[in-house]
Formats: sequence, C-alpha cells, structure tokens
Amino acid sequence: MRQELFTVGKPVPPIYGIEKATGTLRFPADVNLPNMLWMKILRSPHAHAKILDVDAAAAQKLPGVVAILTHNDVPRVLFGPYQNEIYPLDEEVRFVGDTVAAVAAEDWNVAEEAVRAIRVTYHVLPAIHDAESGAKPDAPDAVLNYPEAHEIQAGDIRPEQLGTVGNIIGLREGGPTVVNERGDVERGLEQSDVVVERIFRQSEVNAVSHEPRACVALYENGKCTLWCSVQDPYRLQDSVARVLNLPMDAVRVVATNLGGAFGVKVTGRFAILCALLARQTGKPVKIWFTREEESLDSHNRSALTHYVKAGANKDGSLTAIKVRTFLDNGYWPYGGLGQNIAFAICTRPIDLYHRCPNVKWEVFAVRTNRPSTGPYRGRADAESHFPIESVMDELAHSIQMDPIEFRLKNRIHEGDDLCSAPKKVVSTVWVEEAARKGAETIGWERRASLSTSSQGARKKGMGMAMVIHSCGSNPAGTSQAEVTIDSEGRISLFSGTADQGSEQQTTLRQMVAEVLGVRLEEVGGCNADTLTCPFDSGPFSSRTVYATGIAASRAAEEAKRKLLEGASLLLDEEDGNLDIGINFVWARSDSSKRVRLGELARLAGGSISGKGIYNGKNDQLFAYGFAAAFAEVEVDVETGEVKILRLVSSHDVGRAINPMIVEGQILGGAAQGLGYALSEGFYFDPRTGTALNQWFLDLHTPSILDTPNIEPVIVELGEPTHPFGAKGCSEISYVGVAPAIANAIYHATGARVTELPMTPDVVLKALQDARRSIV
Amino acid sequence: MESPEFHEITLKINGRVHQLSIPSNWTLNDVLRNRLDLTGTKRACDYGGCGSCTVLMNDVDVYSCSILAVEAQKKEIQTIEGLGDSENLHPLQKTFALSYAAQCGWCTPGMIMSAKALLDRNPRPTESEVRAALSGVLCRCTGYSSIVQAVLDAACVMRGET
Repeated sequence: MRQELFTVGKPVPPIYGIEKATGTLRFPADVNLPNMLWMKILRSPHAHAKILDVDAAAAQKLPGVVAILTHNDVPRVLFGPYQNEIYPLDEEVRFVGDTVAAVAAEDWNVAEEAVRAIRVTYHVLPAIHDAESGAKPDAPDAVLNYPEAHEIQAGDIRPEQLGTVGNIIGLREGGPTVVNERGDVERGLEQSDVVVERIFRQSEVNAVSHEPRACVALYENGKCTLWCSVQDPYRLQDSVARVLNLPMDAVRVVATNLGGAFGVKVTGRFAILCALLARQTGKPVKIWFTREEESLDSHNRSALTHYVKAGANKDGSLTAIKVRTFLDNGYWPYGGLGQNIAFAICTRPIDLYHRCPNVKWEVFAVRTNRPSTGPYRGRADAESHFPIESVMDELAHSIQMDPIEFRLKNRIHEGDDLCSAPKKVVSTVWVEEAARKGAETIGWERRASLSTSSQGARKKGMGMAMVIHSCGSNPAGTSQAEVTIDSEGRISLFSGTADQGSEQQTTLRQMVAEVLGVRLEEVGGCNADTLTCPFDSGPFSSRTVYATGIAASRAAEEAKRKLLEGASLLLDEEDGNLDIGINFVWARSDSSKRVRLGELARLAGGSISGKGIYNGKNDQLFAYGFAAAFAEVEVDVETGEVKILRLVSSHDVGRAINPMIVEGQILGGAAQGLGYALSEGFYFDPRTGTALNQWFLDLHTPSILDTPNIEPVIVELGEPTHPFGAKGCSEISYVGVAPAIANAIYHATGARVTELPMTPDVVLKALQDARRSIV
Repeated sequence: MESPEFHEITLKINGRVHQLSIPSNWTLNDVLRNRLDLTGTKRACDYGGCGSCTVLMNDVDVYSCSILAVEAQKKEIQTIEGLGDSENLHPLQKTFALSYAAQCGWCTPGMIMSAKALLDRNPRPTESEVRAALSGVLCRCTGYSSIVQAVLDAACVMRGET
C-alpha cells in the first residue's frame, strides 16, 4: 500500500447524490410496468389463531380482481435466510397483522375492496403478550407450527438453531437460551465493596425506514425478476427459487437503492407472494406497503427486561456482573436466529469489560405473539448497553471515581480473547482514545461545576457511555467483488451490496480507485443486482466497508496485477518499474513507454477482471468498533422534560475512507439513538396484541426541532486487518446515546432512569423514586 | 364500499398541462407517481405525517398525499422534477447532492421542495428559521445538521454570495 493516498481519506461527494437530489433515482417503489397489477394483503385481526376456512368467492367475483392466494394455494415450502420461515401462507396466524391472503387486481382500490370481501373463519388460540409470561413452564405455545417441528432436509438448517423448549428458544430444559458464565459471580458480589442492583425495561422500537417496503415482480419465459426493498437480495433470490421451484439462475433480484433499511429490510412473505402472483397471472405485480404494514410486517428491536446486579471494589476494579435478560422475540426472530442475538447480548459488554473476573449473564429469548424482531441498527448492543452502562455509571459514583476512569480501568485491550467470538482475539482497541477525545470535545472538566449553572427547576448534568459494536469482522457473512477493465479503459466495480443510504458504493469505489491508482471518476459499476453482481451477504452489522471493502480491494489488486503483467510483456519492463495513472500503465523510468488500460484489456481478449472474496471465518484476529457517547442535558424536575444541550459521539473508525460519509453515518445513528433514548416506543395492547401506534407520527421519531447539532469525533488510528485500516461505523453511534443521557440525568438530578424511552412521565417517576429513597 | 367513479381533470404540473381521467379518491400523490411517472415525489406515511410527498402548489409547500387530485386543478404544481435536472441543478439540489445531505434519498425531494418554498419567501433565513420551515418534513438518516447546512449554503449561492 502506498503511503500517500489520493482518493481514500477524501470527502468526495456520494455517487448517488445527484440522482437522489433530482428525484430521478428509482427505488423499488418507483418501478411501474405496463399492465401491472396491484397486490394487497389481508392481515390477521387476531394475535394467535388457526384459520378454519377462507371464503374468497365474493372477492373473486369483483370486477378487476385477477387472482387470490390463500394458504390452500401456495407451495408448502420453507423459505427465509436459513430456510426456516414457515410457508408463504400458513393456516396458523401468529400476530395481529400476520399475512392471511393476497389479492392481485387491476388497481389498488379494487385490491383493497377484494381484501375486505374475503371472509375468514378463525379458531382463536391463547396468545403470549410478553417475554416473562411466555417463559413460564405452563405458558401456552405462542407458535405451534414452526420449522423445527417439521422434517427438514439435512443441511438446510444449522444444528444450533434446532430445538425449542416451550416458548424459550434454545435447547436447555427450562433454562435460558444462552448463558455466559465465568468465575463465581455470587462470591464476587459478596466480596465487592459496593453492589448496585437495578431492573431495566426497554420498549419495542420500530426502525421507521421512510421507504415503505415495495416489490414489483415480473414473470416471463420461465424467469422471474423482482425489484424489491431488501438488504439481502441473494437470500430473496434463493427463497423465490425454492418456493417457485425454479433454478437459481431463473430468478433475478434488483435492490440497488433502498430508502433506508437499518438492518430490517429482509426477505419476507410479501415478496414471495408477489412472485407467486406474477407467475399465476402472467402480468407484472406490485405491492407497496402502507405505513401500518411497514410497522407491523417488519423486524422490530425487542422489548426487554434486565435484572442486573454488579459489584466493584474501591480501587476501581469491577468484580462481578450478574444479569438475567428476558428478550421478547416476537412470533419469529429474523431468520429464526433468536440464539444469535441472545448470545451477542450477553457476551459483547463482557468483552468490553474484559477485566471483570466474575460473570453470569443469562438470556431468555422468548417467542410471543408480537411482530417479528430482528437486526435493527446497533443490534444486540443497543439492547445490552443501556443497562450495563447505567450500572457502570452508578458503580463509579458509589466509589467516587470518575466514570471515564472507572470504565477505562476495566476495559478490553488489544490481543484479548473474546467471549463474543470464541477462539478469536480482538485486533485493535482505540476506545481510550475515543473516550479521551470525546471528553475533551464536550469539556468533561466542566462536569463538576455544572450543577452551579442549573436554574430553578432546570438541573444540568453530564454523562457518558462506552460502547463496543461489530464493525464488519463477522464470520457469518461472505462478500465477493469483481473489478473489470474493458477495452475502452473503463473500470467497473460489481458488488452485491444494496445502498440503503450509507453510500457504500462511493466508499468501495474510492478503495478500488486507490488500489488501481486511477481517479475516482474513472470507476463505475453496479450494485445489488443478482444477475450481474457477485454474492454478498448484504449490508448488515456495519460490514460493507470492512468485509466488502476487503473483497473489492482484493479484486482491484488482482486486476492491477494482470494489467501490470500485460504491460510488462508489451513494454519489456519489470512489473516493479511500472505504475498505473490516468488511463495508462507507464514505465517509471521513461514516460514515453506507456500503454492504455483499454489496449491491455483488448490484447487480453476484450476485458481484464479481478475477483476478491472475504470471509473472516478462519482469521484469528477479530476487529471491533469502539465508541464513547457524551451528553449534556437540562432536566426540568417539574415536568420531567429532558433538553439535550450537547451530544458528542466519538468513534474509533480505524480510518475514515470518506470522512463526509463517516460523519454523516455517525450523526444519523446518534440521532436515531436519541429517538430510542427519549421518544420512540412501539406499543401493543397487552390483552389483544393490537399495535397502538403503528402510524408514522405516533412512532415519535425525532424531528428537525428535536435534534440538536450532534458533534461527531473521529479517531483514526488504523486497523491492520483491513487494507486501508477501516472499521465499519454506521450503527455504533446509535448505541451509546440512551445510556449517556440516562447518566447525564442521574448526574443532574440523582434520579436513575431505568426505562426506555425516557419520556417525561418516565423521568418524573424516576425523580419521585429518588426523592422517596432519600426520605 | 363501491369502487370510486372516474373524473376528467386538468392539472398543470411543472408548466405542462395534463388531461387525465382518474378515480375520484386519488390524491395528487397518486396521480404524480402512478399516472405521470413523476416518482421523485415520495410517500412514507399516507396521511400527512412525514413530508416525503411535499410539492409546491402555487409556491406553497403542501403534502401531495393529503390533497385530492381534483382539488389540485387550476393550480400551479411544481415537483422535484420541475426544479432542475442533472444538467441544470437548482442550487438546493447541488448542495444536498454534494454534501451528503441526501443519505437514503427518500425524504430529499420533499425536503428540497419545502426549502425552496422557504428560500423563495425568505432569501436570508437564519438557522432557526430553516429548522422551523422544514419541520414538516422528517428525515431518518442524517440527524438534520447536513440538511440545515445545505439549505443555508444554497441560500448563499442564490443570493450570489459565493
């Protein structure tokens, strides 16, 4: 790698910027085809029921109705990321909003009318409305029909996913889904100088992507093409091929640009049904969710309860962490992966506080009759850091130690082994640098005297939180990339990742341009079209810049090697004496000895291409992202309102390939984290399971008036496992905001808020509890 | 419910007159997106809650999802497509595109049209005036700072100050 970088590290404008700002970019919802039919879904009014009968005769007779699918009409084939979603339509419905039937009609008015005209007879079944009730041994089953109950072909499902005891996902009889244990936690607590015990509750939250999911399916000549709002186009391709019984190469999925996704836009029934209807009717079929559907038929962040007990000694050493977590998985955790999220919850914070000798963290991931839950931004760590970082703050306070110093004393160090990634060790840990730089930015030294500037009922305080989150080094995924040079000398990057707003293609092309030594404008390409682009697991876990970045760099390296080999023969110069620059390969010693890139491609038969692949399964070094969040708040102790005076989000990003995009991702993640902290909750009637606030404004995402100018801080000290030293950072800024604000409220008022979101009524209750404990 | 009857209507959009026959319950947003292929105007919420569908009607920023197409007759409608194209960008389109104020791009057209209405009536807005004027459009991606800055920068360009 050259020392001087030309494109990497520069805030170049995003490649899709102009199309986005002119409205010309086509999202899946913007695809309209001639003679297209509209699809609408009939959804269950019950939290749990068995369908006894569906009478679609009246609906079928309506003028303009072309086809109706019920559970009797669809192939009984498993689908989903690991082929463990039950059938495209089933006779069991498992949450209010579950898919019952699908209609295709000549326009959406007719389709809606037909949906209303379908008569369904249900046998209502007992339902589970929260995780703790569902975990009880005598609880009724939230889901009767799930893939593990069926004969599954060997290899279709990973063995660790099998097995459920009652509603608790996992193999242990009556035990938790996952337990992370080391040392002797009870003894550790007994021998601690101070112990803090708290119960934390977090509401379910919705990702509220602004683009409601859409799918347009076209079936022609035995081939099916789908334009669909999914982050995992290759998995959708696989699922459609299975359900329609087509070879993989007869299914094409295009998901080039998505209007926000945040982890939750994944393969779903709506797209499979759209493909089935397109085949049945012989016409293109389009479904575009309403906001209500986008909220319900999604993958939310789980509602959680954590019972936490933790201890420390007066010298600042953390002695014990004991947690029991109940995780509401909904009717079906994304891909059936309840274990995965449970495992990450109870291991990552323990890796962050690697020095803590005694740990017992049990997670009960429980099936309930709620919408699905899944990998929403900051997955697992948003869930675990609110309780852990709140308790760390209180422990530091109890031993009268600075909360930053307390955390740093117990933190993970480079080369430490990881309980979240067994047999692997962490590569770089720049968490101290992130914490110190963040503290400097917010003016942490003002903290001690901040209370003196409080006025009347408005109390000021400052708090922080430390964070670990995945940054792309995820052995569960694979990324491939291809770089080609054609006979005109044009360079193209083909990558399977959808751009859901993080403009990864810009960042990836910067890396390709840097490797090849060409200008960024010379690199084009396409992304997330299964017909033309190589496989990628998709933009999850902040993995694209890291994982796809490694693949794209390797592809560019291979293409470069071929270009230099070709030029070496032609120019009669050693490879080492050649350089690539502006469309030519040059001899360093004699600039008249040169050959066009296009000419080299032509001589090679028309094209030169390089391929790269990344899968970190066998790497011993594991990269994590680290961050520190800082909040300065003003709490009105009479109204419970929390005003954010400053919010600083400080990040170990390894290296910022594009600082403008990195800052944009940090700001956006922190703003969503602010919503999680203060206003966002997705609520359900506890008796019926009916959503109470599925409409846009009722989900209370922060507006332009609620969001302060958040201050990003970037620490760039490198990451040796990535060719340019980068770590993914699109999610981590979400995670620390809620605990940092909770800790600032504690500093301002002495009240410990243990519930999310921290709405004024929740803060007032915490203030009352604090007053009561003083009296 | 019976299927709605059809209406013959005339709409003037981006300076062009369109004669259309549409169901009476169609909104302006439905017509733009599904009849005229002007898909730059988005929809995220269906009921006037998010602002992604914002267009200008007689120079005022309105929610196209909350206006029936029949009501939009005899008005000058402007959409993002009428503001500029890649060859001829409006200053707002340029500042949004270059500064990563458009992340996923879904709220961007609505945000830009709302900002256009502001800058047409107030060429020299303060930051808080920008925030107040854009408060009818929500964004999930940016945290808003880059959007506010893009509007302030475009205002400078439009005043000829750069």
